[in-house]
Amino acid sequence: MAETNDVIIIGGGVIGCSIAYYLTKKGIKPLVIEKREIGTGGSSRNGGGVRQSARDPRELPLAMHGVKNLWPGLSEELGSDVEYCQGGNLRMGKTEAHIKFLTAMVESQKKLGLELEMVDGDRVKEILPYASDSIIGASWCPTDGHGNPMLTTLAFYKKALEKGAEFIVGESVEDVIIRKGKVAGVRTDGGTYDAPLVINAAGVGARDIARKVGLDIPMQPRLVEVIVTDQQPVLFDQMLGTAGSDFYGHQSKHGSFVFGGMTGWEDREFYDHRQVTKSNTAPATCRAILDYFPWMERTNVVRAWSGILAVVADGVPVMGPAEELPGFYFASCFCGHGYGISPAVGEQMAELVAEGRSTLPLDAFRFDRFLPKN
Amino acid sequence: MRRVELAVVGAGPAGLSAAIEAARHGVEVVVFDENQRPGGQLFKQIHKFFGSKEHRARERGFRIGEDLLKEARELNVTVELETVVSGIYDGLELVVTKNDRVEHLRANAVVIATGASENMIPFPGWTLPGVIGAGAAQTMCNLHGVKPGKNILMVGSGNVGVVVGLQLIQAGCSLEAVIDASPRVGGYGVHAAKIARTGVPFHLRHTIKEVYGKDRVEGAVIVEVDEKWQPVPGSEKDLKVDTVCMAVGLSPMYQLSKIAGCETVEDPSRGGVVPICDEYGATTVPGIYVAGDVSGIEEASSAMIGGKIAGASAALKQGYLAQDVFEERYAAFRKSLEQLRQGQFGHGMKGKKITHTQEGIEVSESLLCRGFVDESEILRFPGIPSEEIRMRGLTPVIECTQNIPCDPCREACVKGCIRIGESITDLPSLSKEVQCTGCGMCVAACPGQAIFLLNQNYSDGEALVVLPYEFQPLPEAGDEGTACDRSGNPVGKAKVLKVQKAKTMDGTAVLSMIVPRELAMTARFFRPSGSEERRA
Amino acid sequence: MAESNRRKAPEGEYVPKADDDLLICRCEEVSQGDIRRALHQGLRTMNEIKRETRLGMGLCQGQTCTRIARAFIARELGVAPGEVGLPTPRTPARPVPMTVIARDGIMDEAAGEGI
Ligand SMILES: Cc1cc2nc3c(=O)[nH]c(=O)nc-3n(C[C@H](O)[C@H](O)[C@H](O)COP(=O)(O)OP(=O)(O)OC[C@H]3O[C@@H](n4cnc5c(N)ncnc54)[C@H](O)[C@@H]3O)c2cc1C
Ligand SMILES: Cc1cc2nc3c(=O)[nH]c(=O)nc-3n(C[C@H](O)[C@H](O)[C@H](O)COP(=O)(O)OP(=O)(O)OC[C@H]3O[C@@H](n4cnc5c(N)ncnc54)[C@H](O)[C@@H]3O)c2cc1C
Ligand code: SF4
Ligand code: SF4
Repeated sequence: MAETNDVIIIGGGVIGCSIAYYLTKKGIKPLVIEKREIGTGGSSRNGGGVRQSARDPRELPLAMHGVKNLWPGLSEELGSDVEYCQGGNLRMGKTEAHIKFLTAMVESQKKLGLELEMVDGDRVKEILPYASDSIIGASWCPTDGHGNPMLTTLAFYKKALEKGAEFIVGESVEDVIIRKGKVAGVRTDGGTYDAPLVINAAGVGARDIARKVGLDIPMQPRLVEVIVTDQQPVLFDQMLGTAGSDFYGHQSKHGSFVFGGMTGWEDREFYDHRQVTKSNTAPATCRAILDYFPWMERTNVVRAWSGILAVVADGVPVMGPAEELPGFYFASCFCGHGYGISPAVGEQMAELVAEGRSTLPLDAFRFDRFLPKN
Repeated sequence: MRRVELAVVGAGPAGLSAAIEAARHGVEVVVFDENQRPGGQLFKQIHKFFGSKEHRARERGFRIGEDLLKEARELNVTVELETVVSGIYDGLELVVTKNDRVEHLRANAVVIATGASENMIPFPGWTLPGVIGAGAAQTMCNLHGVKPGKNILMVGSGNVGVVVGLQLIQAGCSLEAVIDASPRVGGYGVHAAKIARTGVPFHLRHTIKEVYGKDRVEGAVIVEVDEKWQPVPGSEKDLKVDTVCMAVGLSPMYQLSKIAGCETVEDPSRGGVVPICDEYGATTVPGIYVAGDVSGIEEASSAMIGGKIAGASAALKQGYLAQDVFEERYAAFRKSLEQLRQGQFGHGMKGKKITHTQEGIEVSESLLCRGFVDESEILRFPGIPSEEIRMRGLTPVIECTQNIPCDPCREACVKGCIRIGESITDLPSLSKEVQCTGCGMCVAACPGQAIFLLNQNYSDGEALVVLPYEFQPLPEAGDEGTACDRSGNPVGKAKVLKVQKAKTMDGTAVLSMIVPRELAMTARFFRPSGSEERRA
Repeated sequence: MAESNRRKAPEGEYVPKADDDLLICRCEEVSQGDIRRALHQGLRTMNEIKRETRLGMGLCQGQTCTRIARAFIARELGVAPGEVGLPTPRTPARPVPMTVIARDGIMDEAAGEGI
C-alpha cells in the first residue's frame, strides 16, 4: 500500500531541506526522499559563499533578498548556528586586465541595485591586512559573506523534521508516477509513495529524474575541488575570490581555511560518477593561493575533496512548475551558487507550492527556456 | 612523468617481501615508507619471533626488518624512506612527499602494504597525558631508551599487550597489572607466562573505569565486568599507576586503498574495515594489490607470505613470470600460509573457547585466566619429562602448552631431543632417548621462553634449574637470590651456578640456578636479592 | 520500504546522561553527549554526525576516533557499525604544507626543467 503525502521532495540537499522547512512553516508536511545521506551532495562540499556580486541579473534578486531578509536571522530561526558571517566579498586582481574585467562587472551590477565598488590596492590592505602587495585592486561588496554549508543543510533538515516533515533516507527515486495525466507520486528502490505534487531537487540527479517524465534540461555534471587546512588563529572574515577565478574561499569559524580552486580543465575532465580528486587540482589551488597570500606557505592542508556541480547551459537554476505535467516542479541546476540562495529558494518555492504564486517572480527559471539559437 | 613497474607502499614485512619477490623475477620496484627505518612494525620489535625457519622464527623482529631491507637492496629495489604516499589517483598515479618535495609518478602495478594503526577505547581520563598506545610505549623504550613511566597498567592481554608488557619490564618499569575485559588471555600463553613469572597479576574480565590525575595520570580504577560486559558494582580496584598503556587491538589502515578507489568491506574477523581482495591480493582496482595487516590483522610471518603472493601477482601481470611458474610458487606460499593459520590462534578461532589441544589434552585453565600454567596442570603436557628422567640427569622441560605455529626448539637441538609432529602447531615433545648436553641452545632459541633444563638430582637435596633470562643487570655466578614460581611468588632460596651468553643465543642469557630439590618443578624465575619483591 | 529509512520528528527534549562528557574525538573535542544530542535531533549516519560536530575533522582526520565513534553510534542506535556508514578518506594521507603541495614540480617538468 502506497502512503499518501501532500508533497514529495526528491533530494535531501540544502535545496530540498530548505524547501521542506519553509513548507512546514506554511503548514505543509512534505516527505523528503534522499538516496544517500542528508547533505551528501554538493550541499556539504561547497565553498560556503553567500554572494550577490557577480550573480546573473536573473538570479540577483533571490540572492539580495536572501542576504537582506533571510540569512541574518537564519541561525536563530533554525535554532542551530549556521555560522553565517557577513564579512563582505573581495574579488582581487593583480593585472590591468583583471581590473578592467572587475570594473565592468561592478558597473553592471551597480545598475541592478547591488551595493558594491572598486577599491585600490591600499584600500584592499585596509580591508584585508593579510593580502599581498601584488594585489592592485578588487571589487568589494560589503554585504556578501559566507556560512557553513554542512551546518546550514543539517539545520534546515533538523528544523523541518521537528516541524513535522518526514524524511526517507537511503532510498533512490527511480520513477515518477503519473495517473490520469497528473503526477501521483514516486517509486523508489524501496517502495511507492503517493503525492499529487513532486519537487525535483535532486542536484546532479535532477536530469535523470526529469527525463523519467520526458522533460530534459541541458545540464552536465562537473567535478570541482576544495581543500581545507588545519586550524589557525582567526584572521579575517571576508569571502575571497580572484578576477582570474583561480581560487576562492574563506576562513571558517573553526579557524581552518576553506579554499576552492581549479586546473581550468574541469569542464572536460573524465567523469564517471565517482567523486574523486585529481592529482593536479590541489597543487594548482595552492599555487594560486600562495600567489595572493605567501604567508600561508606552512599552513597544512589536511584534506582535499570534490563535489559535483549541476551546471546548466545558461548558468541560472531551473525552478518552478512544469505546467504541461500538473504536479511536477523543478528546483534544480544550481551550478556553483545554490548554497547562497538556498534560503530564498526554499522560501519562494514554498510560497509557490502553498499559494500558487511567489513574491519574487521565478519565470526566468523556467525549465523550457532553452530554445534553439535560430 | 616517471613511470615504474611496481610501486610498493609500506616497507614493513609485507611490502618488503612483495618487493623482493617481484624484483627476483625482474620487476623494477620502488618502495616508499614514511618511517625513518625500514621494517614497519618490526623495527620496534626486540623480541624473538615465532614461526619456523622459513618465516624467520627465533630472529628478533627488528633484525628481520634489516635482513629484508638488505635482501631488497641486493635485488636493486629502490627503498625510499621518510617518504609519504599522500595519494593514489586514477591511472595508478602516486603522489609522494619526501621532506619538502612532492613527486608524481605512475606505476604499472601498486602493492598497498600500509599495515595497521592502534585502537583506542574511551574512558573518563583517556585524554590525560600518561595514557599511551602500546606502539608509542615501544617507540619510547625500545628506540629512544626512555621509560614511558614508572608504574604501568597494561590494558589488553593480546600478543601486543603481553609482548610490550615484557619490554616495559625489561626497560626497568614496574608493570602493575595486565587487564582484559575478555575472560581469557588473548595472546600466546608463553608470552603471558614470561610476565606472569615476574609477578605481574592478570585481571581478566576487567575493564578500565577511569583514569584520574590533575595534569597527568595519577591512578586508574579498574572494574570487573559480567558476562554481558557490564561493570559489576563494588568490584572497583584503584591502581596507583602513572601510565596506562593501551593494547586494545589494531585496525587495518585501509585509508590509502580507499583513496585509490578500492572497495572496502567491514570484516570483524580481519580487524575492521579492509579493502576487498581476492586470494592473490588483487583489489577491485585493476593493478592494485594489498598485503599484510592492511588486508587483515595477522602476523609478520603471514604478512611476508601475503607480500610474496602480491609481488608474484604483480610480476605475473607484467609478463615477468610464466603462468606455470607462478602457480607453483603460489601453491607453495599458500601451503605455508595455511600452516601458519592452523592452531588455536589460527584463522577464525578468535573468541572461540578451546577446551582441548590438537593432541586431545585438556588445556590449562590457569594459563588462560591467570597467565601461567599451574604446577598441578603442567605434568599432562608432552614436553614434561617423567620424574624418572628428571632424576637421571639434565633434561629439557618444555612448558609450551598451546598449539601455536612455532618450531625453533626442534631446530635448535642438534641432539634431536625435541620433536614436533607433522604440523607446525603440534605441541613440542621430548624424544624417547633424551641425550641432553645442556648446551642451552633450545632455552635461548625458544621465542616463548618456555624451555627450561632440569636436573632434579643435581646434588643431595638440590636441583639445577636452567632458565632463559633477559633482564639487566645480568646476575653472575655465585649470586644469591630468590627462586619464584610461575606466578612470581617467592618459593625459596636460589644460587646462580653460571650464566651462559653466546652470540648464537642472540641476547638471551641462559641462567643456571641451584634450588632445593622440592622446588624443581616449582621454581621458574630468579630474582636477584635486593631487587624489590612484588608480591608477598 | 525499510522502516529504518524513515526519519521523523524527535520525541521530547534531549535528556542528558551521566557520561555525556566523555570525549570521543580528542582533536575536535566531540563528546558522547554531542553525538547523542545530534542523534536525538534526527541525524543518523557517521557522515551526518561528522558534519554536525566536526568529529574526525581534526589533524588526524579520524584515524583514532572513527572506530570509536562508529561503535558508539551503532550502540546508541542498536545497529551494527557497518550500518552507520564510513567517512571517506581523502588525500593528502598526512597533512602537507601548502607550499609543498604547490611546488609539485609538474610545471617545471612541463617547462623541460625536470625535478
Ligand atoms: C566544490 C563546490 C563549491 C561550491 N561553492 C559554492 C559557494 O561558494 N556558494 C554557493 O552558493 N554555492 C556553491 N556551490 C554550489 C552548491 O553547493 C550547490 O548549488 C547546492 O549545494 C545545490 O544543492 P542541491 O540541494 O540542489 O544539491 P545536492 O546537495 O547535490 O542535493 C541533491 C540531493 O539529491 C539526492 N538525489 C539525487 N538523485 C536522487 C534520487 N534519484 N533519489 C533520491 N535522492 C536523489 C542526492 O543524493 C543529493 O543528496 C558549490 C558546489 C561545489 C560542488
Ligand atoms: C607489539 C607487537 C608485537 C608483535 N609480535 C609479533 C610476533 O612475535 N610475531 C609476528 O609474526 N608478528 C608480530 N607482530 C605483528 C607484526 O608486526 C605485523 O603483523 C606486521 O608488521 C605487519 O606487517 P605489514 O607489512 O603489513 O605492516 P607494517 O609492519 O605495519 O608496515 C606498514 C608500513 O607502511 C608504512 N605506511 C603506511 N602508510 C603509508 C603511507 N601513506 N606512505 C608511506 N608509508 C606508509 C608505515 O610507515 C609502515 O612502516 C607484532 C606486532 C606488534 C605491534
Ligand atoms: S640443552 Fe642443548 S642438547 Fe639439551 S635439549 Fe636443549 S638444545 Fe638439546
Ligand atoms: S617450545 Fe618450541 S614451539 Fe613452543 S614456543 Fe618454544 S620454540 Fe616455539
